[in-house]
Amino acid sequence: MTIIKSFPLIGVLILFLIAFIMPLIKKNSVVKFLSIASFSTCLVLFVVSLNYVIHNGSYFYKIGHFVAPYGIEFSIGIIECIMAVLFAFISLIISWYSCYSIEHDVNESKVPLYYLLINILVGSLLGIIFSNDMFNVYVFIEISNLASCGIVVVKDKKENIRAGIKYLILSCLGSGLVLMGIAFLYSMTGHLNMTFIHENLINSYMNYPQAIIITLGLFTVGIGVKSALFPLHTWLPDAHSNAPTSSSAMLSSLVLKAYIIFLIKVLYRVMGNEIISETPILFVLLALGSLGMIMGSVLAIFQKNLKRIIAYSSVAQIGYIYFAIGLGTELGFVIAIYHIIGHAITKSALFLCSGSIIEKTGIKEIANLKGVGKEMPYTLSLFLISSLSLVGIPLLPGFVSKWYLAIESIGVNKLYLIVIILVSSLLNAVYYLPISIHGFFNEEQSSSKLYKSKEKSVKELMPITILVIAMLYVGVNSEGIINLIKTTFV
Amino acid sequence: MERLLTNYYETSSIILFGIGFATLLLHSNLIKKIIGMNIMDTSVILFLIAKGYIHGKASPIVVGEFKGVSEYVNPIPTSLMLTGIVVAVSTTAFALALTIKMYEKYGTIELDEILEKGDE
Repeated sequence: MTIIKSFPLIGVLILFLIAFIMPLIKKNSVVKFLSIASFSTCLVLFVVSLNYVIHNGSYFYKIGHFVAPYGIEFSIGIIECIMAVLFAFISLIISWYSCYSIEHDVNESKVPLYYLLINILVGSLLGIIFSNDMFNVYVFIEISNLASCGIVVVKDKKENIRAGIKYLILSCLGSGLVLMGIAFLYSMTGHLNMTFIHENLINSYMNYPQAIIITLGLFTVGIGVKSALFPLHTWLPDAHSNAPTSSSAMLSSLVLKAYIIFLIKVLYRVMGNEIISETPILFVLLALGSLGMIMGSVLAIFQKNLKRIIAYSSVAQIGYIYFAIGLGTELGFVIAIYHIIGHAITKSALFLCSGSIIEKTGIKEIANLKGVGKEMPYTLSLFLISSLSLVGIPLLPGFVSKWYLAIESIGVNKLYLIVIILVSSLLNAVYYLPISIHGFFNEEQSSSKLYKSKEKSVKELMPITILVIAMLYVGVNSEGIINLIKTTFV
Repeated sequence: MERLLTNYYETSSIILFGIGFATLLLHSNLIKKIIGMNIMDTSVILFLIAKGYIHGKASPIVVGEFKGVSEYVNPIPTSLMLTGIVVAVSTTAFALALTIKMYEKYGTIELDEILEKGDE
């Protein structure tokens, strides 16, 4: 059964290899089929390896059979496998959706290149998640950086180029900081493998009190820029709202999350609890997370463009994840992972819904979208369900993570944090619910509109429906998922 | 002060990093921003290669007979930075290509003018 151990590597390799076949193919339908086929193969591979890890425990996979400090390692545990399954699933659904609508956004001759970028992007994100080697992660970060800028500028409009260059400059800044952090770690320990860095640091961290803080600062700011931690989020609304629909879904549900996983790895696998408890890093994450939860929502209220609202809401939701990490307890960590799962599914559903609304009606401003519920009842219902999850209605994943966050805030004796969670939920409701309410119940506007006149066909709605069903499953089965994540601590 | 002077490689690389970082953040000209990005990458390259250098030892290329592990400088940072250079080159190429596109669409490469023109 040793072949199962290689499955994560095979998945990453399949994505990269298939990506470079794509530009050689002339027919767009074949390219789309290849993309979907590669993602579904990955999904199957990762589900099998998740199953293997649950039964046999986590392991380190030596690439090329070179032993650890000399060769590159993949560390494959339950969290990594859950994330891999999530990423493969969401990218499969998004590329399925994009099959019907990509010609709307991208010039037909560039469609193979678009799918090339998508495959490389997902492959490199999976690499970030699996890899146990700092420099290897850096290379994957740079690949994903270029690929994600690529899927923003692929639309070739004025605003896209502007958003793309803003994104590129800020994320180059971020990766420069991360590289400097890696250089610091290397000069302190002489290793690049996370396990070995940890073993060395644990013995010698008392000798470098300032260097440890500087390193943590470099990583936090660097990854914070890339994953839109609150005051560093300025590139996000432009990039996410101008990109083609499927790219914005990909960017906000997957790309941001992979960097957060890397930060978690730096905090807990490289540094370890003992070291980070002596630095103020967790408090900084908690404070910035809370600020993001409030300010992201406040900024979203003032937006007029539908996609910008959802983009700013990403800032708020990323705030929740950092908040959960910043609590610094076991349950907080589990909720951070759970919220990554819940938010990835919800946000991709929201972006796909709003993308289809904009595509069919041609209207981007919410003020003009009143009465759209009559024209596109199913799409708007799916939008409503996903936005209810972010607002925090019971049974949906957004509620579950807010509930546990509140419990954990009581657990660490910081009651004022509950106020922040409540205010943030209310603010979420303030900007999400009016869209659906005006969409469904605006009498004067809807009387002139024909019922279902602009609705998408059933096969085009299928991907979004599957996402919403998956979201309901994650919400209803929250206990199972949370217990599964908790088993990593035993 | 003396510590800064003895570790002059690290000091200069951090100063370079600061210069690059500030240029990248503060200048509004896109070409200057890209130059700043390159300075930043180069400073990290200098930092890591200085970490691998051991005074008085040979470069890690075996010519003739092998002199033993302790006679060569550490080759790992050098090889890492080869990858780093490749990454920096590809990012620069992409950024320059985007700058050309930007000039075609807006007629200027000053970022603040472009942001002002905004959503016309």
